[in-house]
Amino acid sequence: MPTSDSSRRTFLKSTGTLAAAAATLQTTASGAFAAEDNEIRVALVGCGGRGTGAASQALSVPDQGPIKLVAMADVFQHRMDTSRGGLARRFEADGRMDAPPERQFIGFEAYKQAMDTLRPGDVVILTTPPAFRWVQYTYAIEKGLNVFMEKPLTVDGPTSRRMLELNKSAMEKNLKVGVGLMCRHCDARRELFDRIQNGEIGDVNMLRAYRMAGPTGSAAVPPMPADTKPLHYQIKHFHGFLWLSGGAVSDFLIHNIDEGCWMKNDWPVEAIATGGRHYRGDTIDQNFDSYSLEYTYADGTKLFVDGRTMPGCNNDFATYAHGSKGLAVVSTAGHLPAKSRIYKGHREDADNLTWAFPQPEKNPYQLEWNHLIAAIRSDTPYNEVERGTMASITASMGRMAAHTGQKITMDQIMNGDHEFAPGIDQLTLESDSPLMPDENGKYPIPYPGIIKNREYA
Amino acid sequence: MRRIHPPNFAAASTMQVFRLQLLLTAASVSLAGIDGVTVSTVAADAGSAESATTEVMEPYAELLEHTDVVIDMVPIPGGTFIMGSVDDEVDRNDDEGPTHKVSIAPFWMGRFEVTWEQYEVWNEKLDITRRQIFGTNSTPRDSIADAVTRPTPPYTDMSFGMGKQKHPAICMTQHAARKYCEWLTAKTGHYYRLPTEAEWEYACRAGTDTTWSFGNDPSRLGEYAWYEDNSDYNYHIVGQKKPNPWGLYDMHGNVAEWVLDQYHADAYAKRADAACSNPLEIPSTLYPRVVRGGNFEQSPSMLRSAVRVASSEEWKEQDPQIPQSIWYHTDAQGVGFRVVRPMNEPSAEERKNHWDKTAPVQLDPED
Repeated sequence: MPTSDSSRRTFLKSTGTLAAAAATLQTTASGAFAAEDNEIRVALVGCGGRGTGAASQALSVPDQGPIKLVAMADVFQHRMDTSRGGLARRFEADGRMDAPPERQFIGFEAYKQAMDTLRPGDVVILTTPPAFRWVQYTYAIEKGLNVFMEKPLTVDGPTSRRMLELNKSAMEKNLKVGVGLMCRHCDARRELFDRIQNGEIGDVNMLRAYRMAGPTGSAAVPPMPADTKPLHYQIKHFHGFLWLSGGAVSDFLIHNIDEGCWMKNDWPVEAIATGGRHYRGDTIDQNFDSYSLEYTYADGTKLFVDGRTMPGCNNDFATYAHGSKGLAVVSTAGHLPAKSRIYKGHREDADNLTWAFPQPEKNPYQLEWNHLIAAIRSDTPYNEVERGTMASITASMGRMAAHTGQKITMDQIMNGDHEFAPGIDQLTLESDSPLMPDENGKYPIPYPGIIKNREYA
Repeated sequence: MRRIHPPNFAAASTMQVFRLQLLLTAASVSLAGIDGVTVSTVAADAGSAESATTEVMEPYAELLEHTDVVIDMVPIPGGTFIMGSVDDEVDRNDDEGPTHKVSIAPFWMGRFEVTWEQYEVWNEKLDITRRQIFGTNSTPRDSIADAVTRPTPPYTDMSFGMGKQKHPAICMTQHAARKYCEWLTAKTGHYYRLPTEAEWEYACRAGTDTTWSFGNDPSRLGEYAWYEDNSDYNYHIVGQKKPNPWGLYDMHGNVAEWVLDQYHADAYAKRADAACSNPLEIPSTLYPRVVRGGNFEQSPSMLRSAVRVASSEEWKEQDPQIPQSIWYHTDAQGVGFRVVRPMNEPSAEERKNHWDKTAPVQLDPED
């Protein structure tokens, strides 16, 4: 890998002996903002780590006019407090962070209150667990807001259909909507995509992807302490519950699935899969700890995806496309830097390297925001929801194949009738969860081959 | 597809097994702090800690209970050395001087950098998992060790596809490395911590005063170290290169190593010419802190015995969460650590008020 790591090398060398100032790259946006007419106001709905990171990137878009965070919403006060603290440290001094207590909202109606502080054309960030996405997107469209929403967008067939239907009115209103599949905004992968479409690896005839790490996020959920409400506990551990997040497949594997489909330039038509629950201990979540998905495209090409969250195993977090002339490394280890490159043949031999994206790469979490704000400023059509929904339902198709032990087609999952969380738009802090535990504190899990028509009963 | 153990590592493994048996024998007859050595009653004043006590220190292998993983420890005799680099050393940085005389109390040091198989017993709770799976009863020490905070699960593969097992653990914050030592102390009943910057350089030099512990000729670096010219931009299984004169492997290169100290560019300038024993710059801010030894991506000059590197918040740049994790420096893929164990174990109060002292307190937003 002759071109790899030059950014880190340069960086470590350059900081070698300096007491580097603790400035972050996020503070490079220029200028302090007066309340100008062209100011974009932002509301953050879902103040977890990712939402707060997204807000930080929104406020760091360089050279595109004033942007200010004016409102925040969450269901938990402690999330709000942590988020505010993190953002204030970076953005309060120059006024980019301007969300005083009267514009901080708590509860299941807080998303409406936060959006009510915005004007049409402002931006709302939707970074709650995916279950709430269609509910909040509905309101954002009603208010004429531009939107940034995190992946996945949906976790089942009914909400996927709803999302696509909803999006028609967003398109009619010319709302700009970004989706947090940030790898799509990575310069290295974009150039690789062009090269693959230009035939540099020949016909793409097999893709494979891996996210095999140790325990990840909140996928493994310990037993619930006494005097906790299931709804609150599940939201805190949202990766563990299929109605909230789609679980480990939807939330973790979606990036690698999506970048594989991007390079193939198609969505698969069916999936088979295996998986199981091996090291579960006393955990109460619904996830398997290993998944092996096989997607088939209309032309017969396969995409294989391995996901694992077991401790102590070898790790791999990368995506590859094999063609009739060579191998493309889409991403190398995690999301960034991608270090996208092409080899002659199918081995990663340095001698066979024919192209590699020059290092360093820009951070795609920032690029996705630069692109969204540029589209808003220039009033260029920009809507990633259909693509994001297709990535989400593709992930769900693989997950359902693993959880049911059946072959699942795109038609089948897209037209499925199992809505994991009906009535979610009516929840309050006092509600029961859409999925309640049994008397032992356990939740229904998938039984492949036993429960075949839905993922759990 | 990683390499099979090279000969010198295989040899070390064989020795580990032998030492392990010795250790277990010793442990059964010694409930006191240190097995198989005479514990000096002299206070840990470096000036007086001499070979009379260190002669009886032996290498040993520390077993991580409920696993088959051991940490190989090498005795480092107490003594005095000249810290820093001389003015005419090639590629020298200003913060490496002035040189000054430092005395160091005896300690054991990890023969190798802490490996993934040693680290993941803690960060992925493999000891607890193994007890659950195999129905092993926990010991009183386990309940203390289990109570030490462990990292929240990350969102990415922290080995970055470079290999686990006997490869060095990387990307941990200094806080995580300190917590590992706290856990290791609880787990074993022996006091472990990160080395001080002075201890690290003393052990790295191993009695030498040259640019590297093998001399001043960079063309020999490849015999001793993984660095930019031979690493293929991957870290490597520990212990494959030649050791330094005191039997420590990979002190130069492979991964840079955390030490306890706050980074002050003028730290050496402030140390009086008078006797300086066991110095430690107790941290009072999160950045910058010190890593030493250079890494697999760096040039020979960054692997010199005297080079000091300051940590920075930029080492978390690719963490897309805010607040960023207190456990991971996702961008510090060339940073790991090794542990030391002082021969003369400090009191609980000395640990709290001196050796383990650090600020600000690191609170996990996920807890």
